[in-house]
Amino acid sequence: MKTTKSWLRVLAIAAIALAAPLAHAQMTLEFPTWQAEEPGVSTWWKELIAAYEAKNPGVKVNIQQVPFAQFVKQMTVRFAAGSPPDIVHLPSRDFASFADQGWLEPLDDRLKATDIAATWPPLQSEMSWNGKTQGVLLMGYGGILFYNDKMLKDAKVALPRTPDEWLAAMKATTDAPKGQFGLATITAEHPNMVVEMASWVIGSGADWLKGGKYNFTDPAVVKAVDGWRQSVGYAPKGTNSATARQLFIDGKVAFLRDGPWVWGAVEKAPADVRPNLRIAGLPFPVTPGGASNSLHLAAKTDAKKKDAAWNFIQMAASPEWQHRYALTGSPAPRKGVVTAADIGAKPQLKTVNDEAAKARNLFPEVQAVRANYNDFATLVTKAAMKMISTQEPTAKALADLQAELEKQVPLR
Amino acid sequence: MAKRSLKAAERRLAWLLLMPAFAAVALLVAWPIYVVVQMSVRPGRSLALDQLMSQPLGLANYDRVLHQSTTWAAFLHSGVYTVGTLVPAFLFGLLAALLFNRAFPARRWLRSLLLLPWAVPGVIVSITFLWMLDASYGVVNSVLRRLGLLATDLAWFVDADTAMLAVIVPTVWKSFPFFTITILAALQAIPGELYEAAKVDGARAWQQFRFVTWPGVKRPAMLAVLLNALWTFREFDIIYASTGGGPAGATETLGILVYREAFGSFRFGTAAAIGVLMLATATVLVLVSMRRLKDEFR
Repeated sequence: MKTTKSWLRVLAIAAIALAAPLAHAQMTLEFPTWQAEEPGVSTWWKELIAAYEAKNPGVKVNIQQVPFAQFVKQMTVRFAAGSPPDIVHLPSRDFASFADQGWLEPLDDRLKATDIAATWPPLQSEMSWNGKTQGVLLMGYGGILFYNDKMLKDAKVALPRTPDEWLAAMKATTDAPKGQFGLATITAEHPNMVVEMASWVIGSGADWLKGGKYNFTDPAVVKAVDGWRQSVGYAPKGTNSATARQLFIDGKVAFLRDGPWVWGAVEKAPADVRPNLRIAGLPFPVTPGGASNSLHLAAKTDAKKKDAAWNFIQMAASPEWQHRYALTGSPAPRKGVVTAADIGAKPQLKTVNDEAAKARNLFPEVQAVRANYNDFATLVTKAAMKMISTQEPTAKALADLQAELEKQVPLR
Repeated sequence: MAKRSLKAAERRLAWLLLMPAFAAVALLVAWPIYVVVQMSVRPGRSLALDQLMSQPLGLANYDRVLHQSTTWAAFLHSGVYTVGTLVPAFLFGLLAALLFNRAFPARRWLRSLLLLPWAVPGVIVSITFLWMLDASYGVVNSVLRRLGLLATDLAWFVDADTAMLAVIVPTVWKSFPFFTITILAALQAIPGELYEAAKVDGARAWQQFRFVTWPGVKRPAMLAVLLNALWTFREFDIIYASTGGGPAGATETLGILVYREAFGSFRFGTAAAIGVLMLATATVLVLVSMRRLKDEFR
């Protein structure tokens, strides 16, 4: 009897001892992103997380860096395995394929309590799938031309204003034996290869999806892709987006076509290179751009975690944090957050916001392509690599690509 | 009677002691193979595994896989990659083993250095060779140009004509130490008297190798070739980290194709079907090789 009572006492004490920490257990929100270490925007994320945690004691946000090239595949594995992150950050081009799998939570009811519908740009409509809004746009952008002013002056070329002037400037600034190139662009298998080609096509005023059909054999598209192909001749081979940016920041290339988020990295360029690095709009008649990245909730997570994650997204969308986001150099979606004083302090913000305002979406808007974006991108990348690594005529490569797309990604 | 019941008891004990091993094999080998085969006969595009497993049975995945040109191209690339890696890796391994079987200064610590390529993760090997073979800034192009062997820089990983060679080279570098270690162990088991006797009989170096060395290392060498062939056939990390299967599919082996089908195109069933075909190919390879190995080990 005495022994039994002693054991009961021990069990009771153990239960109380375990219950105490459980009662104060922290909720941790998993937040994988490719921007956790990206210069500029990573500071914004970390400050936002610190402010959110201060406002929500008992909730911790675990931000995790995942390289961009592997990001979508890793998220695919997580969702397929039934272990999605709590805060879902996606390249917007891949949003539709995730939404099509039923992986994302509809947000219409939650959004009613916010001013996002009234203050976000028209690109927010890209977050809609099957009649339900399933994301909040975090950045819509216009493509930016980064250039090394000293290299242009040394080669006696002016800032280009047309694609032909740009190609001529690339040629004039290329001296491959000395490791100097006119352009840094993606010349290896990489998810952004499609963006590089699409920038030339959309920028020239053409479109490879027209009237709900593939349009790769249009002479205007062929001409634009020829321009891209020529530009690749002035770039080092085998580079991905990270290497291309690094080459520009190191002062080895004259031009880089990329998004405004690169400005954070440019500000960290070596002291002897930094004063020469500038930005301008792309020398195309149409500014290519689009929805860059967005925030979502996973459909199959704990309800409390969903609420906590939504609070985080709302905080990111608030006027204060949107203003701070704009100051990183990327255009914030919330209208009117950039002031004249901000532009006075950071003149590049004017270019970034002007280009974002007039950009035309370079990502496909046809539903069948959006739902199968990976297949579309894989085939386009394959054709692009064929054009980089062989002498096959552009028209034939694009005709073959169209035939392959019509078979593998039919348009419904 | 007592003897029979003792033998039966011993048999029961033997089975009992083998049970944990069987359970481990069942859990770690048989169950995953069963799941993969199940997925391969469930046509459907869902990435939710529970939804995929509830699809009706069908062979549409195999039909798709066997009729798409990328599958056969991947088979060809896998064959070229495997043979292209095995032959030089074996030859380098054999030469290194013959060298390290001799006595020379610092032999011991050089032997330890030799193991390093085998220990380096495949991704690190890829990154290293990506830089060494870089088209614009790589040391290999620079040296070849200075030696007059190249007029312009070669884009090793980006040119469809050189990409396969560019992924084979790091794989050979990583693989040959395994052959060296295996063959060296066999070399050291060959009695020195056999070489002395051969010398007395007037055998030259090549004859000593053919009639003394090779018979002594043949069996472990064949086993090493088989194991390495299986590893190389399913190799993924070196190719994926360096070319991703490109350019334009030039280095897309079956392992890369499986990954692309599953995580690029969201077709787990098709990826599983390719996986089953890889398993079948490897099984045939092992069965054919085992007959030959059995003869050798008799």
